[in-house]
Amino acid sequence: MKCLVKVDHVSKKFKGFMALNNVSFQINEGEILGYIGPNGAGKTTTIKILTGLIRDFGGAVSIDGLPIPSKIEEATDMLGYLPQRVSFQDWRTVDHVLNTFGKLSGMAGDSLERRIVEVLELVGLSDVRHKKITELSGGMVQKVGFAQALLHNPKLLVLDEPLSGLDPESRYRVKKIIKDLSKNGTTVFFSSHILSDVQDVATRIGIINLGQIIKIGTVDELNAHFSITNHIDIVLSKGSEHWKNLESITGITNIERPSPNRFLVHTKHKVDIDEIIYSIIQKLTSLDCRIRSIKPVTSSLDEIYLKYMEGGVNQ
Amino acid sequence: MSLSLLIKDELKGFYVSKVMIFLWVGLPLMAILLYLFMPDSGSDVLFTALSAMIISSIAGTLAAVMLAVSIINEKNRHVYDLFIIRPIKRRNIILAKFVAVYTCVAIACIIAISLGLAIDYFVNGGVSNTVLNALQVSLTLSLSMMAISCSAGILIGIASPSILMGAILVVYGGNQISAISILPTTLGLSNPVPFTIGLSAIVTGVLLLIAIITFNRKQF
Repeated sequence: MKCLVKVDHVSKKFKGFMALNNVSFQINEGEILGYIGPNGAGKTTTIKILTGLIRDFGGAVSIDGLPIPSKIEEATDMLGYLPQRVSFQDWRTVDHVLNTFGKLSGMAGDSLERRIVEVLELVGLSDVRHKKITELSGGMVQKVGFAQALLHNPKLLVLDEPLSGLDPESRYRVKKIIKDLSKNGTTVFFSSHILSDVQDVATRIGIINLGQIIKIGTVDELNAHFSITNHIDIVLSKGSEHWKNLESITGITNIERPSPNRFLVHTKHKVDIDEIIYSIIQKLTSLDCRIRSIKPVTSSLDEIYLKYMEGGVNQ
Repeated sequence: MSLSLLIKDELKGFYVSKVMIFLWVGLPLMAILLYLFMPDSGSDVLFTALSAMIISSIAGTLAAVMLAVSIINEKNRHVYDLFIIRPIKRRNIILAKFVAVYTCVAIACIIAISLGLAIDYFVNGGVSNTVLNALQVSLTLSLSMMAISCSAGILIGIASPSILMGAILVVYGGNQISAISILPTTLGLSNPVPFTIGLSAIVTGVLLLIAIITFNRKQF
């Protein structure tokens, strides 16, 4: 896959405070990179450097080979951006916003009109097209911001907290749009505090803390890095009384019984989880038990994230 | 292309938010009211001169405050972020604001002075050449002062972190700078108009240039 965004040893200092310290990563075409980290970690600074809003920094950034900020005016054609706190002039209606930004992005006439109808339909704002921005709720304004970012069919979408302030239905809708766009080749870089949403949408996740990238990878890669003890969740429909026999399987440390037919098997570090599951099935079958379900419990992004945060920046 | 689009957009904003109506109706109306209620108003006070005087003193300050406050407000609310990431020159955002506000106040100024001229014509049965010459100087002076005020308002808007500080700076500083336009008229020149225009254009240009450089270097 072709690399679309390259962030190379980027540093940024604000009045003695190191907001970014030697940050490097790449985003490939069609990828969705979720960017997570605590408040003040450097997420928004990274995004602002990438979009050319912050022009004074150390290191190098490029979008599709165009160096930022020197070639930002050429790169903006392929860039859609939603800021963390999206704001428009109070006098504007939704229609004004989209018309102005569409025209400034080089769109005009019927194609702009068609696209406005399309994006409003997509984000679910068709009914409020002629309403003033001041008459909309915070979530709706956020969706107008999202609509303007999509308007010119950008190759790269940079979204700063796109899901914050949205109700569950809107969150689902925005996540679906992001996934659909990625399927059609759009590259997405987004930050979020809602870790479960990042896990739902992102193909890769970057964790940043204190201005430094701690780790970038898929959830599995991030998980594997810590070798978090794996658990196996078992539900039996018959033969629950034989559960103690499972303790004899090599690699199992202990078994919890949260309910009469459900068992949580804890395994040793660095064991082959597939082998253990195979042994459990064999043992339960030999004891004439009926297995309703058996599955490894994977760590949630929250757990992985907390592990990385506890470990500091030198993972 | 983007500059004309941004100017139209700014003007649309003034139209929709009723700023235009306030300027184009409010300023001439204020001049009429002052004329009517001035205790010593008599036939020796020409309405044309009064209008020009009022407009130059009020409109310049009004325009500078309007610009500074709107820029500070929009800058602090990150309104410009979505403009800057478009394929447009940053300077066009500033120039569009200047052109739109200056056009609005200049039209208000012309309306008020024309109204004064019309009233004087009907009240005094005509307007003398002396009055017309004085009017030309007044109009030039008003437009020149407003141009400097507008550019000062823009610079203060970009540089000032808060609305309060911006408003104070405009009232104390912006207005005083615009008084530079009066200089040629005090030199006893037979025709100070070209000098007033030239000096104002230079000061306006310098202030706008500093504003553009500051805006270009700004971290959003």
